[in-house]
Amino acid sequence: MGEKIKNTVIVLSIGLIWCILALFCWIKPSDEISISERRKLEQLPEFKLQTLLSGKFMTGFEEYAQDQFPHRFMLRKLKAYTRFYAFAQKDNNNIYIEGDYAAKLEYPLNEKSILSAADKFRYLYEKYMKDQKGNIYLSIVPDKGYYLASQNGYPSMDYEQLFNILKNHMEFAEYIDISDVLELEDYYYTDIHWRQEKLMKVAEKIASALGISEELSGNYEAIEADVPFYGVYYGQSALPLEHEKLYYLINDIINDCRVYNVETDKTSPVYDTMKLHDKDPYDVFLSGASPLLIVDNPNAAKEKELIVFRDSFGSSLIPLLLEGYSKVTLVDIRYITSDYLGEFVTFDNQDVLFLYSTPVLNSSAVLK
Amino acid sequence: MLFSSITFLYYFLPLVLILYFSVPKKLKNWVLLFSSLIFYGWGEPKYILLMALSIVVHYILGILIERHSETKKAKFWLIFSVCFSLGLLGYFKYANFFIRNINEVTGLSISLLSIALPVGISFYTFQILSYTIDVYRKETKAQKNIVHLATYVVLFPQLIAGPIVRYVDIAAALESRSHSLEKWRYGLRRFIFGLGKKVLLANSLGEVCEIFKKTEQSAVLFYWIYAIAFSLQIYFDFSGYSDMAIGLGKIFGFEFLENFNYPYISRSISEFWRRWHMSLGTWFRDYLYIPLGGNRVKKSRWILNIVVVWMLTGLWHGAAWNFVIWGMLFALLLMIEKLWIGKAMGKLPKFISHIYVLFFVIISFVIFDAATMAEAVERIGSMLGIGRIKVTDIQSLYYLRSYGVILILSIIGCTPLPKLCIERIRRIKWADRIMVILEPIICIVMLLTITAYLVDASFNPFLYFRF
Repeated sequence: MGEKIKNTVIVLSIGLIWCILALFCWIKPSDEISISERRKLEQLPEFKLQTLLSGKFMTGFEEYAQDQFPHRFMLRKLKAYTRFYAFAQKDNNNIYIEGDYAAKLEYPLNEKSILSAADKFRYLYEKYMKDQKGNIYLSIVPDKGYYLASQNGYPSMDYEQLFNILKNHMEFAEYIDISDVLELEDYYYTDIHWRQEKLMKVAEKIASALGISEELSGNYEAIEADVPFYGVYYGQSALPLEHEKLYYLINDIINDCRVYNVETDKTSPVYDTMKLHDKDPYDVFLSGASPLLIVDNPNAAKEKELIVFRDSFGSSLIPLLLEGYSKVTLVDIRYITSDYLGEFVTFDNQDVLFLYSTPVLNSSAVLK
Repeated sequence: MLFSSITFLYYFLPLVLILYFSVPKKLKNWVLLFSSLIFYGWGEPKYILLMALSIVVHYILGILIERHSETKKAKFWLIFSVCFSLGLLGYFKYANFFIRNINEVTGLSISLLSIALPVGISFYTFQILSYTIDVYRKETKAQKNIVHLATYVVLFPQLIAGPIVRYVDIAAALESRSHSLEKWRYGLRRFIFGLGKKVLLANSLGEVCEIFKKTEQSAVLFYWIYAIAFSLQIYFDFSGYSDMAIGLGKIFGFEFLENFNYPYISRSISEFWRRWHMSLGTWFRDYLYIPLGGNRVKKSRWILNIVVVWMLTGLWHGAAWNFVIWGMLFALLLMIEKLWIGKAMGKLPKFISHIYVLFFVIISFVIFDAATMAEAVERIGSMLGIGRIKVTDIQSLYYLRSYGVILILSIIGCTPLPKLCIERIRRIKWADRIMVILEPIICIVMLLTITAYLVDASFNPFLYFRF
């Protein structure tokens, strides 16, 4: 084969593929969201002199070009495969696969962040609870890595140190250790969260500390969600992980409870099954992320109230504690500023539970 | 704009290539100039004016120097050119460094200037200087066409991270150049492999360096993983960029000189600097070291020359003391080699001289990458096991396992081994035929993999952009 033909074949074949990819980029309509990544995709920025001169247009366009690339998920898979199989790397986007479980590398321990969270909780205590007679509790939800990482050679944060820092800086709260009643099997394979149907021991331990053990019937029916559940790590790892089943536990008391969302001024059931078909089926539990929810239990045996400062782990656990209270207020200070809380919640000798997971505590800048 | 971005690869470059090869010859430099300004302005819109000013001033200065050749006026205009270029560089790059040091020494509290470093200013300043100096030395004629001169200065393939292309090397090509499928083939291949070095290797190595820096307590092993990974990252980052620049230059009909020649196989520090960032080394040699007298002077003067050149080489890389120390370390090693151990080294077993070079180069890059000298000393001390520090821990072992293959591939990629293997295969007739099929397949697979990495990217800086 002559050199000229060789050159022509090689240049044309590479050039053709390159041109096709470029052409796809130019003509492909923009997608609104990435379902696998559970996020909105960047849209073409507005072309104005002001945005041009400030460089905002360019930054926006770079993100748009990245987000809207044709077959984005397929390419993300290709990257994940290259990392895992060609380069034998142990994680992709900090997600590692060990056995059937996908988990995130949660390390190192950010002591400043833990102290900052402790300061935030103390601030809440001093502002709203100090003069009240209600009991205050603290419980920390270890992430999956607590049971998976160091045992399998993955770096993990110093969990004991994390627990100790919070315990020592929150002497006003009674600590409920739930790490000994959890195990790896209590977490989803592909998601950060724990499985509600596996939380009976956790609920019992917390209920015992809260003094509501007797009210808890422990009788639930597990309902299987009618959609396959792909957890958050499915999209983040971009690996072809198997979907899994999501269950939620019901009984008559839970069915009769009503959840008032202060932000949206709407009332819904404890399990919002419409959310099963949204981008994150885990939002079925208490309708997902909300700054302030008030759950009324008309069938409560006693007039007793609980205020829970919580993150998303609380959404699946709190329904299992509802039998013990006539009213439960759930506060997520990632979405509501602590200073304004008094405008919406009256602190009046209720029990208060701080229930936070280790990933949120280790990145506590999100707490307002 | 970054070469390693979707915007460049799938929007900017295809459009520029289509436009460039559609217009007649006399408009090609216009296309390159216009597109290069967009390329530069994409990241730094406000600094286009600074660059335009520099071009216009040096266009006039070039003509004035030539017009007054061999008179004192020519020298005056040359000095004006040097002062103007270095003045701008000094203001944007070194003003705050000097203010900080003055404040520290005198106890004053002069406010720092709120100025950002224009991307690539160190590179294009040196290119412009090479033009006026060469006109003064009559090594080239002054460029009468401002579009040609502007195209030389802003030519996007090498604008922001080199190699430092001297005007004299591409003066003829600016006037007239040829394009061919052979050049296209070479250029595409070189560009894609350079992009692969950057995105697949340098960025991955950069990740482990960033992880190391975020870690509060590390083991000796992790310090070494970091030091080796950073030394490899900076090589693949910078040489990858040079490969992309050379490849693109080839497609557009320019011949840029090589910038790297397997520096990590060197057996002495002087050999290392003949192989590392060659365009900078030769620039300092031809425009500073030799005019200072080079080595044809008294020993004490020669030592001074070496110290000046390497201190400035260090400062060229950054306005901080660690860069000065980095340059001075090389000055010291070069002097030791030249004065005492050079001959003895030639008799040493190869592996010992390789270890000597690699050890000091790795140590030098630890200094280079440190935010402060104290940090550099702490890292070097920890590498040597000084202090109460574990040899290994779960974290260092994890990252060794996770990045082991990348490290091994990178180490092999630093040597001529892959190139030699390909050359040997190509000598076999039937294998060469297969290579014709394999070459585009490998390039396309690499391009797709690189694109996949870019689409899912969160870590993609070019280290040499800060210089």
